[in-house]
Amino acid sequence: MENYLSFVTIDLWTLIFTWGNLLILFLLMKKLLFKPVTDILNKREQEVNDIYDNANTTKEEAANLKSEYTAKLADAKNTAEQIIEGAVKKAQQDEEKIIKDARFKAEQIIKRAEENIELEKKNAFNKLKNDISGMAVSLASKIVERDVDETEHHKMIDEFIDSIGEAS
Amino acid sequence: MNIQGPEIYYRLPGGIHITETIVNMWILMAVITAVCAYLGHGLKDKPDSRRQVIAEFIVSKLYNMVSEVMGKKNLNFAPYIGTLITLSAFGSLCALIGMRPITADLSVTLAWAIVTFVMVQTFRIKKRGIGKYLKSFFEPTPVIAPLNIISEIANPVSMAFRHFGNIASGVVITSLIYMALAGLSSMVIKIIPIPVLQLGIPAFLSIYFDLFTGVLQAYIFCMLTMVFVAGATE
Repeated sequence: MENYLSFVTIDLWTLIFTWGNLLILFLLMKKLLFKPVTDILNKREQEVNDIYDNANTTKEEAANLKSEYTAKLADAKNTAEQIIEGAVKKAQQDEEKIIKDARFKAEQIIKRAEENIELEKKNAFNKLKNDISGMAVSLASKIVERDVDETEHHKMIDEFIDSIGEAS
Repeated sequence: MNIQGPEIYYRLPGGIHITETIVNMWILMAVITAVCAYLGHGLKDKPDSRRQVIAEFIVSKLYNMVSEVMGKKNLNFAPYIGTLITLSAFGSLCALIGMRPITADLSVTLAWAIVTFVMVQTFRIKKRGIGKYLKSFFEPTPVIAPLNIISEIANPVSMAFRHFGNIASGVVITSLIYMALAGLSSMVIKIIPIPVLQLGIPAFLSIYFDLFTGVLQAYIFCMLTMVFVAGATE
């Protein structure tokens, strides 16, 4: 029996074995090499994507927080300004009121003092007038040595002094 | 010297015979499976071994090639292409260690080419429907139908013969060279009948006929498969 196939021949059993072998090797290689490696590559790609996504999310969050804080800061500044403004306004109002009060009081005091002075002056003047007229009457009575009508003289002298006071 | 096909190792009942090609293929499959198992086991998220880097490099290169030639939607063909290119390349390269290349057997390359042919026709029918598929043979005119059919059949035949022819011619030329060198050395050195010239010189030819042609034909075969199948799915 011939122990060799001829050099160029199509052998049905070799065809069949080749197909079987190709299928077996395909399944083996897929299971042992291609699937594990592609799995790990996909997994890594997924991880990288996740990391990027996370980074983006964190970035966005940070940006949001930043804008939030900026807004809050601006708010706080506004509030502070308002408070200060209010305080200043109130202080100014208070100041004006105090000054006004003080001026009013001072004016009252001055007025009263002036009135007092005027009263005192009047009193003093009246007293002086009385004294002077008394003195003049007693002096005159001594000079004349007779009793003059005291009320009459008083009246005369007062008129005289008044005329002087008016003139002075 | 008689240039022969693969040796028949076993004859099983029912006319089944196990040839050198099939046994060599089993050996190669065992080696490839062992290498794949070695490269593909215990992969980690963060590669800490040269082994995993190599495995990832090979697989991503293959997937890149397939996605470039066939498009991203046909990426699930990559494992088949990878299997084919590995078996084809190693099937030719095993000549370097003295095994008979499995691709120097027309039945093997024809079997692979028929797989490609069946895939192409299947995807074409799936894509266009059986009516349009049959109609496409009668275009542009019905007269041309025989030519269309012949050109379809010519594809796998030419693929099979191209691969087989390149590797088988390498085998033939290598054995011719061995014979010639044996004759030459017995002529030149008559005193001591040692085949000196056969040592070393065939190695240089082997670089071309086994290494270069083997890898190139594996690449061409897979490239044609990818192009045809991609064309059928479009």
